[in-house]
Amino acid sequence: MITGTGVVKTFKQRGKVLGARDVQALRGVDFAIPKGGAASFIGESGCGKTTLGRIIAGLETYDEGEVAIDGVAMSGLKPKERQPHFRKIQMIHQDPYSALNPTRTIHQTLHAPLSLRARQTGRSRSWIEERAAEVLSLVGLDPGSVLARYPHQLSGGMRQRVVIARALTVDPEMLVADEAVSMIDVSLRLGILALLKDLRERLGVSVLFITHDVATARYIGDDGELYVIYRGQVVERGSVDTVIADPVHPYTQSLLSAIPVLHGLEQPGEQPVVPLESLDESRSDEGCLFARRCPFRADRCESERPLLQITGGVPQEHACFHPERRSVIARPLSEV
Amino acid sequence: MSKQAPGVRIDGLTVVYKTTAGELPAVRDVSLTLEPGSITGIVGESGSGKSTLALSLLNAVQPPGRISAGSVEIDGLGDVVGLRGEQLRKARGKHIGYVFQAAQNSLNPLKTVGKQLLDLGRSHGVEDLRGLVREARELLGRMGLDGARVLDSHQHELSGGMRQRVGIMLALVLNAHVVVLDEPTTALDMITQANILKIVREVHAERGLTTLVITHDIGVVAEVADRLAVMYGGRLVEQGPTREVLGSPRHPYTKGLIRAIPRLVGDIDEAQALPGRPPTLATVPKQGCVFRERCALRMDVCDDVDPEAVLQGTRTVACHAVTVKEHA
Repeated sequence: MITGTGVVKTFKQRGKVLGARDVQALRGVDFAIPKGGAASFIGESGCGKTTLGRIIAGLETYDEGEVAIDGVAMSGLKPKERQPHFRKIQMIHQDPYSALNPTRTIHQTLHAPLSLRARQTGRSRSWIEERAAEVLSLVGLDPGSVLARYPHQLSGGMRQRVVIARALTVDPEMLVADEAVSMIDVSLRLGILALLKDLRERLGVSVLFITHDVATARYIGDDGELYVIYRGQVVERGSVDTVIADPVHPYTQSLLSAIPVLHGLEQPGEQPVVPLESLDESRSDEGCLFARRCPFRADRCESERPLLQITGGVPQEHACFHPERRSVIARPLSEV
Repeated sequence: MSKQAPGVRIDGLTVVYKTTAGELPAVRDVSLTLEPGSITGIVGESGSGKSTLALSLLNAVQPPGRISAGSVEIDGLGDVVGLRGEQLRKARGKHIGYVFQAAQNSLNPLKTVGKQLLDLGRSHGVEDLRGLVREARELLGRMGLDGARVLDSHQHELSGGMRQRVGIMLALVLNAHVVVLDEPTTALDMITQANILKIVREVHAERGLTTLVITHDIGVVAEVADRLAVMYGGRLVEQGPTREVLGSPRHPYTKGLIRAIPRLVGDIDEAQALPGRPPTLATVPKQGCVFRERCALRMDVCDDVDPEAVLQGTRTVACHAVTVKEHA
């Protein structure tokens, strides 16, 4: 279980010659990802979802708030003491081409973390070889043909599987997948998603999926939670199917309305929401962060910031003064 | 200024790349007609030859590649494959606009957009440069940007979506009527993507263009294109009206590709991965069907004979299994 309360992260701009401003990447975010569970962060680029993922994986510090792994608060610990906790959380990056050292064979790539692990747990050399073959089999690769190869001899999909195998070498409890399939060929994407789903079911690894593609988030775990993040604030949070089928925050509705409709197979939603203007981070932070772009804004939205809570008789948490269900997503023609 | 949207006829086009293993075809015997005023979408994975096909429209395939057979006829211009030197340079930009993949990286970081626009004008011998700037400002304004501000900006001052719109402006400002967009929305997020696609559709209609969109994302084609062509391993395996192809795909690859898209509603497990992986230039089979390794309908004939593209009503499909079924 990993939890966060009121996590704040500000990126300080050095040299304010050009009127550079500090960037508020996260403005007090709460989250909880149970053991073996699934969660997805969705939002536009620059919304803070990747920063949050990096904080959870221990790759980034935070300024305020608290992150706790299995009940142990991280902020009180020295970096050395944090390490064994963050070992449980492994990151899968977007680009499998740059995530693997091109001068090392897959065997070498897996050997390094495994020998460390062997020392930590007092296991023998032969265990390393067995385990290397085992993690490769777990991700659907044939150890015999892959171990001796270099990354450039593998396809994008196979490389991403190797990256996942490498993450598994340290027996993680959670995988943080940041846009893990966006650079993979369309016909192979589902294979990687299915693998993550399978690892959840077989090994009980929880998966945090960071993406702008809502449909892939749903595929990983429809029993999980969806966090919609906008300018460093969670604006809607609930079970995946609730948020997708019945979104109440206009920002969530804009994101879902923007998903291409497969004409011929689907019928567009009846009440699509289109933001009034494009994202402009330099705009004032007063009131609701989405107010300027919101087609439904009222006076109150300009002066007061709505907080994430359950109101308005809907099952999910949301940060909107005027939550309203709208039919925004496309439906299959077969259902109409 | 609005001349008739030109038609484009690609016929028997083959593009080969010289490698240590000899000349290998990246695009093989592709025939495709872009009807005047239509938007055609080409969908394919990496290595399918879709970008090479798009570059052929400009006759801009770079060595070690070359167009080894076929023609690309554009109304009012003739066969682009036969154009050389100065003629070819003038055709690019004036007749055919090209919006490059990752427009983010195709602008000069040292010059303002306005300077690059003037360079473009001068290199095409435009005399009325003021008029050109006015036209550019109008186009940018049309796409929801502050034209004057954008022309004064360097690329780092513009967001991804803004750069993409600058790319579209540069492709259209010389009044080209055939426009090729190569992965116009890759690396943009959903809301920006929806914006750009809307702009592509509107500008296409207003200016009377013939548009070709190249993408790996079926959703993009579904949103903008009238016709959909699917490429695999350098071959065009299926083409037809977008709605029909999506609604009832015939080629096993098209079927697999559509089934591999996770959906927002319905049974999650309906989405099924396509087994195997797409071929590269080196692994494309030299004879027989390019898709047979991953195909559930594979027959003996697929190993030896490359299926011909057969026209059936509004649809063209290159598959032995489909042809056999329909003649049975």
